[in-house]
Amino acid sequence: MKIIILGAGRVGLSTAEILSREDNDVTLVDSDEEKLQGLQDRLDIRTIVGAAAHPGVLEQAGGPDADLVLAVTNHDEVNMAACQVAYSLFRTPKKIARIRSAEYLRHPEIFCDESIPIDVIISPEQVITQRILHLIKYPGALQVVDFAGGKIQLVALKAYYGGPLVGRQLRSIREDLPNVKSRVAAIYRQNQPIIPKGDTVIEPDDEVFFVAGAPDIPIVMGELRSVEKPGRRIMLAGAGNIGGQLARRLEQDHYHVKLIEHGSIRARQAAEQLENTVVLHGDAADEELMLQENIDSMDVFCALTNDDEANILSAMLAKRLGAHRTMALINRSAYVELIESLLDIAISPSQETVGSLLTHVRRGDMVAVHSLRRGAAEAIETIAHGDAASSRVVGRRIDEISLPSGTTFGALMRKDEVIIPHHDTVIEPEDHVILFVIDKRHIHDVERLFQVKVTFV
Amino acid sequence: MPSKRKNSSSSTGALNGFLSADRILFNVAASSKKRMLEELSALLSRHQAPLNRHTVFQVLNERERLGSTGIGNGIALPHGRLNGISEPLAAVLRLRQGLDFDAVDDQPVTFVIGLVVPADATEQHLKILASLAQIFSEAGHRSRILKARDVDSLLNLLA
Repeated sequence: MKIIILGAGRVGLSTAEILSREDNDVTLVDSDEEKLQGLQDRLDIRTIVGAAAHPGVLEQAGGPDADLVLAVTNHDEVNMAACQVAYSLFRTPKKIARIRSAEYLRHPEIFCDESIPIDVIISPEQVITQRILHLIKYPGALQVVDFAGGKIQLVALKAYYGGPLVGRQLRSIREDLPNVKSRVAAIYRQNQPIIPKGDTVIEPDDEVFFVAGAPDIPIVMGELRSVEKPGRRIMLAGAGNIGGQLARRLEQDHYHVKLIEHGSIRARQAAEQLENTVVLHGDAADEELMLQENIDSMDVFCALTNDDEANILSAMLAKRLGAHRTMALINRSAYVELIESLLDIAISPSQETVGSLLTHVRRGDMVAVHSLRRGAAEAIETIAHGDAASSRVVGRRIDEISLPSGTTFGALMRKDEVIIPHHDTVIEPEDHVILFVIDKRHIHDVERLFQVKVTFV
Repeated sequence: MPSKRKNSSSSTGALNGFLSADRILFNVAASSKKRMLEELSALLSRHQAPLNRHTVFQVLNERERLGSTGIGNGIALPHGRLNGISEPLAAVLRLRQGLDFDAVDDQPVTFVIGLVVPADATEQHLKILASLAQIFSEAGHRSRILKARDVDSLLNLLA
């Protein structure tokens, strides 16, 4: 695919990096020459210095040939104008823009071909807020992602002694939970992937990825570790976009939230906007303040500022002072690897965002793509189109479909029904198929498998 | 039903009645799949008042997204269904340079037949595609078509 990325900020850069590794022609545009320096050689992309929305710049960036424009500069208005120009001059088929301001987001009707032609709006802050909410709701989960509009979820967690299934074969889950639809899609044992089979025995410390209907998630988690009740006491550090949104969502769900913000203006604004959240003006790395605010009785502490180092430090401090679970936003992937053992969960904003972008880059009819295990693995939801003649999957039993190596079936969504496929399940047209791809290098084969043949009309 | 102009040994007539000389272009410079589909859409909608080239492009592009119509040996058959036409329409582009098309054999595409059919003509749509696939699966026909360098010989071979 020919892709133009506008804006070499965090999202723009990490997206350029991932997409350029996957056989795409990527051109990255930014008005700041310094930001682009050296990238051309390091990433195998083209870079253009210039104003993102200027027709001449877009032309130079390959506008007439581009299949996709991704506008992720820091300004909503520039992103909108760039999509408008790309549409008017080049009829670019897919235009994706980051829009942050709630003022615009409140009026989705302005984003159409007749007014502001943007096909997909992404809001990284919303995506990340949603992820953290899931993690707070399911204590013990390392990652929770949505499929089928949230009806099916994929959960990663660590298996512990005390979980009834631990030490037993996977197939016993059906005896334990005869009425629950779930399937283990992948297991990582000491970081090595294992393709789960019926007789695979779960060991303590295995990282298990399973899919299930959303209401059944806690039950399945209870098979793999002792059940924890979701805690109600939450402390957040940083009242930026994510901290503010998260606090609002949590107070709606009746959590007890404390929000620490070191900027006095921002703290005052947050206090005015939030109703039941206790907003504190101070430093989350201040031991005295943390003790005073009973950090030791907190069920979850989340460090959500823009500063990686500050987030790591405050989360480590919170952990040492007795917070039950700690999470931190960490942008630099090198840090994530370093400190993983010191925190409970490191959330990478760029990785969370890239997944939602990959949905539109992947070939075939993708509904959702989630990037997992720092980009090494992927879970996808794709629609099976066609019939036995024009498709390689429709009309075939699961055991007749040869999935690329390291790829497993998760679940199917057929109209409104969640189906856990067995060897004799037949794929029907328009089924939503959820797959786990352990090794992302095989993603192209997966795309191929689900693409219709020339005779599909 | 249009009748075949020639017997099947010299011609195949898959596009008989749907392809005309003014919808065949040689030596087309297209720098990308998108530009090629735009060129094809313009050609298909030329002199077809109800057709808008942007709509044709959208339909062809959307169909490509679900699966490439590159059938191998440098041949692609982009196609789609459209409201507002009463008969199928075909167009041919011979490209100056091979184009990355994500084809089944990963070979660049140089020969493109575009096809749009009325929205309700599913049967006919399938039939035309099947006969095109048939023609191109036969090495002799295929090589004659790929080697044709003028409008008349292509019309002879396809229409």
